[in-house]
Amino acid sequence: MRPLDEAETTAVFEKLFKFTGNNLKNVVENPSHEGPDPNPGRYCFRLHKNKIYYVSESLVKRATNVARDNLVSLGICIGKFTHTSKFHLTIQALSLVAANARHKVWLKPTSEMSFLYGNHVLKGGLGRITDSIVPGDGVVVFSMSDVPLGFGVAAKSTQDCRKLDPNGIVVLHQADIGEYLRMEDEL
Amino acid sequence: MGKKPKVILPPDLPPEILEEEVEVSDEDLQFVNENRDYAGFVSRLDTQSITKHVTRVADVKEDALEAIYEKRLRKKSATLKENEESKVQLDPVDALPVKTLDGKVYYRTLAKTSKGKDENEAGEDEKDGGADKGLVKLTKTEKRAKLKKSRKEAKKLGKEVAEPEEAEQAPQAAVLAEVKEDLTAEEAFENKKCKLAELGIALLSDPESNIKSLKEILQIAKDDNPSISKLGLLSLLAVFKDIIPGYRIRLPTEKELEMKVSKEVKKMRFYESTLLSNYKAYLQKLIASEKKPLFQHVVVRCICNLLDSVPHFNCRESLLEVVVRNLGSRDDVVRFRLFMLFALMLSNSTKNYVYFLNLAFIYFQLNCLFLVCRKLCCSTIRSLFTNEGKHGGEATVEAVRLIAGHVKASHCQLHPDFIEVLMSLSFDEDLRKAEASERDNKNKSKKYKKRKNSEDPSQQQGNERKKSKKELMSKTREEVAADYKSVSFAPDVAEKRRMQSETLSAVFETYFRILKQTMMSTAASSEAIASSNTSASAAHPLLSPCLNGLGKFSHLIDLDYIGDLMNYLKKLAAGGSSYDSSSPKCLQHLTVSERLRCCIVAFKVMRNNLDALNVDLQDFFVQLYNLIIEYRPGRDQGEVLAEALKIMLCEDRQHDMQKAAAFVKRLATFSLSVGSAESMAALVTSKNLLQRNVKCRNLLENDAGGGSVAGSIAKYQPYASDPNLSGALASVLWELNLLSKHYHPSISTLASSIPGMNTANNQVYHAILSPQQAFTDLSLERESFNPKSDIRKLNSKRKRGSESSTLAGIESTSDTSINENEVSKKLAKHFMVLRDIKENERLRGELDRTSLTLQLYEEYKKQKKAAEPKAKRKRAKIV
Repeated sequence: MRPLDEAETTAVFEKLFKFTGNNLKNVVENPSHEGPDPNPGRYCFRLHKNKIYYVSESLVKRATNVARDNLVSLGICIGKFTHTSKFHLTIQALSLVAANARHKVWLKPTSEMSFLYGNHVLKGGLGRITDSIVPGDGVVVFSMSDVPLGFGVAAKSTQDCRKLDPNGIVVLHQADIGEYLRMEDEL
Repeated sequence: MGKKPKVILPPDLPPEILEEEVEVSDEDLQFVNENRDYAGFVSRLDTQSITKHVTRVADVKEDALEAIYEKRLRKKSATLKENEESKVQLDPVDALPVKTLDGKVYYRTLAKTSKGKDENEAGEDEKDGGADKGLVKLTKTEKRAKLKKSRKEAKKLGKEVAEPEEAEQAPQAAVLAEVKEDLTAEEAFENKKCKLAELGIALLSDPESNIKSLKEILQIAKDDNPSISKLGLLSLLAVFKDIIPGYRIRLPTEKELEMKVSKEVKKMRFYESTLLSNYKAYLQKLIASEKKPLFQHVVVRCICNLLDSVPHFNCRESLLEVVVRNLGSRDDVVRFRLFMLFALMLSNSTKNYVYFLNLAFIYFQLNCLFLVCRKLCCSTIRSLFTNEGKHGGEATVEAVRLIAGHVKASHCQLHPDFIEVLMSLSFDEDLRKAEASERDNKNKSKKYKKRKNSEDPSQQQGNERKKSKKELMSKTREEVAADYKSVSFAPDVAEKRRMQSETLSAVFETYFRILKQTMMSTAASSEAIASSNTSASAAHPLLSPCLNGLGKFSHLIDLDYIGDLMNYLKKLAAGGSSYDSSSPKCLQHLTVSERLRCCIVAFKVMRNNLDALNVDLQDFFVQLYNLIIEYRPGRDQGEVLAEALKIMLCEDRQHDMQKAAAFVKRLATFSLSVGSAESMAALVTSKNLLQRNVKCRNLLENDAGGGSVAGSIAKYQPYASDPNLSGALASVLWELNLLSKHYHPSISTLASSIPGMNTANNQVYHAILSPQQAFTDLSLERESFNPKSDIRKLNSKRKRGSESSTLAGIESTSDTSINENEVSKKLAKHFMVLRDIKENERLRGELDRTSLTLQLYEEYKKQKKAAEPKAKRKRAKIV
């Protein structure tokens, strides 16, 4: 377990910025109330076995007592570095990203299932969409009752969505909460 | 015994400053020089009498006052005597006396003339005549009196100076000539008036034969005398309005002129051409004299009337131009001058008060004049837009284009009326639909024909004759239809559509230009000097009518423009600054109402154009969330806020739970600190939100923290700028409890009804009124409600005053928290003190009054005692 170096930090923050925009500030400055300390600490990012963890400082202190081989996980795992040292967000980051999302898409109840099986979001399944989405932005997918279902990358802007036919792809799938079942072993 | 007679002192005169010291700006001078006609009376003002009026005896004691008055009287009588010595009083029947401002009655007198001073007298007389000319108008009676007077004068002169008659005759003749001249001027005026009337009547009764008299009237209208000229212009207006035909006159071409025509046609042609040429001359005269301030009102009235009644006629363009130019007339300049003048007056406070007042009066008059002109023009353009049947829509296109050009030329610094007139435009909604259905019909008929053709051969032989008959019929029908089309005034659908689309594009061009201009100016100013907050709201006079118009015509905007439009609106709603760096200084360039309007327009545009796709305008919600805090009841328009609440929160279909909760919380907080109307609107909105979002009713539970729904933010942050991050679900709506004790009964009932929503499972949505409705209801009610509430307040105050001690006692025993207890005690104490002070004041006042009456009574007694012996002595003397 170690803090991130420069390149890794930029990679992580750039990825998070795509989803949260200016709310990235909230992610970093969020006070943590974990642990017995009277004054709240902060959250920080830690790298452990190619995975990035979003951990409160008090927890980090305690985790130093555990040997590296024995430490399986701590805090929230928000993503991992691939072998080509690219950063990917994993589904566990959903709670963090959904709370601070800049662009959102709401799915109709009929198309929720399709998304949870790992398919892209089609125009036909779109319930609502936030304004001013640019292709390439990170988008968080919600059900109509505001339950976060996953996230992805916008394939079309909001303006273009209007003219799209119902089978056109709006959001490219990256992660969904169905993965907790489908890829239980990997996570 | 009454009170002492009080001397009401006139306001202190400003400290004396020499006239030379008063700075009169060059602009003012220039302005007065330009508008000499208005400023004329300044030079005519009797400054002496005014100053005399103002310089009253102010701080002289009573005894001295009397002395002064006596002195004045003596002086006056002395001067009168002197005058009488030198003048011979006329019989008051012959010449009526004149009463001046200060109450003196002047009888018309004649200067007694010594025999040798004839020339002198003649000169005086001339002067007199000159002065008379200067006066505005002489009524007939005055004239007659003057005439008599002069005659008498002449007679007397004749009596008195019998011997040197030769020397006398020349001045007498001069006087007579003068009088005659006056008389002839008067007569000429009357004559001209009569002539105008005669000509007009003749023209109206038989325009064809009397068409030439138009020229004569035009000549009269070009008279030097402004009043005659005005009369001429107005009468011409009446005549033209009546005789202008219902079609556009086209002068015959040369080819046509060469052709032989009947007498009738010739006559008609002559009539039309003279009418047209005279009309053109009249318009030229109007436009030429529009610049003169004395004529402006009349001219604008004429032009507006003409445009209103005969928009189809020739030369419409020049009329339109004048009207549009006058729409944004320069009253702002005048108002600014007026303002500057007052500022100068206040800062100087000189004795040139009168001069300043007069200047101000002139400006004020000018302002009124411009206002009237602008209103006239506005109503004309509006009627032009609404009654398109009169001119077939062409004038509309021209007017809108002209307006667009003006906006472009003047960089959007015009009067809001300029854009507001565009609101009265109307576009046919079903134009496009009609076209579509037509095409459908065509297709159908084609198909039908095809089928018919395919069927035809089988039946061909038998129907040969029938067919030819049919063809003939259809041919004649077509001909008739073509004829009808050419004759009927109903405009072609295609033509109409083309015109409307042109108008629409001009309108939107104007709107977008204004938006862009506003954007640029705000951006520039925020970059250049962030500290310049002066006249922030006045900088964009056209923005609010422009936004209104966009809202009205939002369903007609082309889909391709919407993206840009939304971007602009977003930036404007953020107050002209890019919303990444929303520093408070940049936010002040647009007023809250303007920014709210931006949000409203964005929502309207989205709603009207995107039925299928449900776009969540999050940025605008963020703006609204922040604007609610910035709203100030006196400064900003409550109607706009109510409309925004209605459109953005009540009518939008879905909301996030977090966002809805944040809005509910903020609206409740907001309604604590504003007037009853605004808080009613806010409460209605939050009730609506609570009804639709079941989860938000956690706010009503008395359990801070929000449980599982609270989300990631564990604590409510009241100053968060993003509704999603405020963590409102972690809070409790304690505001409702306070609001249920609101002084306004309807608010208190509503506030107390909301908490019950949670327990009673009312799945049925009550038809509650919209926030806009609520706002207007309460703001109308405000005036009538006030007195009632005042009475109740007073009552409650008195009660509280008497009972507060006991109340405090009761509350101290009740097991509320210590804090509350202390507060109530302190309040009770405070009110006791307040009551004591009031009581004290009252008592002291009473004491003063009684002591005063006692004193007066004693004085009265003394005087009586003093007076009695005197009276006795007097009586004794008489006896």
